[in-house]
Amino acid sequence: MLTDPGYLFVQFLNGLQFSMLLFLLSVGLSVTFGLMNFVNLAHGALYACGAFIGYSIAMATGSFWAAFLLAPLAVCVIGAVLYGVLIRQVRSAGPLTQVLLTFGLIFIFLDAFRVIWGDLALGVSAPTLLATNIHIFGQTYPLYRLFLICLGLAVYLILWLFLERTNIGAMVRASVDNAEMASCLGVNVERLFFAVFCTGCLLAGLAGVVAAPIVSVYPGMDLEILIPTLIVVVIGGLGSLKGAIVGSLLIGMLQTFGQVLIPQLAGSLSYILLGATLILRPEGLFPARAH
Amino acid sequence: MYYPSKLRSAVAALLFVAGIVAAFQAGYFGKEILVEIALYALLALSLDFLAGFGGMVSLGHAAFYGIGGYAYVILSMQAGVPPLAAMGLALVPCFAAGWLLGIVTSKVRGIFYIMATLAFGQMIYVFTFQNRMLGGSDGIAGVPRIDLSAIGIDMNDPSIFACAVVVATGLVYLVFSRILTSSFGRTLVGLHRNENRMRALGLSVRWYKAMASALAGTAAGFAGTIAAQHTMFVSPGMMDWTTSGEVLIMVILGGLETLIGPIVGAAFVVLLKHEISEFTNHWHFFIGVFLIVAILAGGKGLYGSLEAGVARLTRKKPVADDASDAAPAETPEAGNA
Repeated sequence: MLTDPGYLFVQFLNGLQFSMLLFLLSVGLSVTFGLMNFVNLAHGALYACGAFIGYSIAMATGSFWAAFLLAPLAVCVIGAVLYGVLIRQVRSAGPLTQVLLTFGLIFIFLDAFRVIWGDLALGVSAPTLLATNIHIFGQTYPLYRLFLICLGLAVYLILWLFLERTNIGAMVRASVDNAEMASCLGVNVERLFFAVFCTGCLLAGLAGVVAAPIVSVYPGMDLEILIPTLIVVVIGGLGSLKGAIVGSLLIGMLQTFGQVLIPQLAGSLSYILLGATLILRPEGLFPARAH
Repeated sequence: MYYPSKLRSAVAALLFVAGIVAAFQAGYFGKEILVEIALYALLALSLDFLAGFGGMVSLGHAAFYGIGGYAYVILSMQAGVPPLAAMGLALVPCFAAGWLLGIVTSKVRGIFYIMATLAFGQMIYVFTFQNRMLGGSDGIAGVPRIDLSAIGIDMNDPSIFACAVVVATGLVYLVFSRILTSSFGRTLVGLHRNENRMRALGLSVRWYKAMASALAGTAAGFAGTIAAQHTMFVSPGMMDWTTSGEVLIMVILGGLETLIGPIVGAAFVVLLKHEISEFTNHWHFFIGVFLIVAILAGGKGLYGSLEAGVARLTRKKPVADDASDAAPAETPEAGNA
């Protein structure tokens, strides 16, 4: 089975799909991390928010596409409110304060999900348009998962164009590199940070709603994705788009192929990689900051 | 800097007496809660030693709890070592793991240290979870308690057991208090404040960090050996990273860098958890709210606020180095910038 190229190809697509999900989550976290040294453990909770809200919208309207469009916006609004009420106040505090505050948010979200949506796992069905299997290279593969891969790549492309080719993108890059200097040159780093934070929330919500048809929606789904996302951010390097995509691909492939090839070690592999990165290259593979 | 001030000693003595009284007076359920508090207190005070005084904020502390518990189980149940000796020997791997973690992470600071310890903790957790020899996700049941019948102590009596656990917690508190007033403790706080200066003084930063990590790990492992005997059961659940997070919450809610505060925090969180569970399952929500309120209120925690209040009332200026102590949580970031 392991030498069957078709089987390995399907696993490769699975790995790619998981990587894209990780990318959607890690990119926002990484850039806010790099921009303001802000650590947000509640990022996973926003992902779960996207999935739950997406579920409710899909149930209410009967259309996955309505959820696809509206849930990320709702998560973005939740993120903006959180920012205004809580996060702004600890933005310049040390990592311990931020870790604890956002850890507290995880607890609050966890029980909020339980109260609103209950403890049971909820299912969301893929949109009818994509709920078929297609044949590629003699293998059948769910079209919806291919859609996810394309979505991740499209988001990467848009973000890349935005960061590399627009004025605001240049401001973001400058602020990540040296926030003080950027603000001396007239960049409103504070406002920029808010915008980046909201974009990160939007993408986390998007990740949640598109993941809903693949994984079941339940309280605690946020903790499951949080750790791999943090690993991607640290391995990739803070604040860089390239780091986020490379880190996501590394972890996504490592976990997928790890489970197929060496199941006994699969769970530990990404932690080993993280530990090795922190020791050998603490700044990550592609840190945005030169120093 | 740590001082065993009168207030700290008084609170410690009060808690100790309350613990002993509760061990004999409380009902069965009360004794269970008491042991739970004492176990969390051990974890929290050793984490405060590492995070509050040493500036190494760890999210992997529960791993040592698990290592201690599992080492005790393997030694006493599978290797046939007498339980009392097994309890002592089980501390060796905890010390070693703590030392190793300290060496490896000696140059990692701030959020990266948090991530590194998280990775370490999860690695141990996942390894245990997937290892059939260690019982996998089911854990191992039927763990024996130490046998002190030779000196007339019956550990299977819930009152005696609870009392022993309280005494053990008190002893560990005294040990850490002593360590922190020794030159080692002073150096550790110095490292937290200004690592480069300590290095310039010719100190081996790596050695001190490894030692601090090893000592904190040993104390957490000691708690693990007691936990295994308490429930007579070990499972990977005890090393989940959220356990480490909860212990960190206790440290903060009690008062970082006070040593006695985390014990107050442990008692507060455990009691709150049980009180809230009486009428709702959603204790996570309340702990989360408390935590956020405590942090927005300045992050001093229950005991820390008491200490600050007493200092204000007695109109004495808080101890000389309080100016640099004012924002201990912010120091780790200095290395990040």
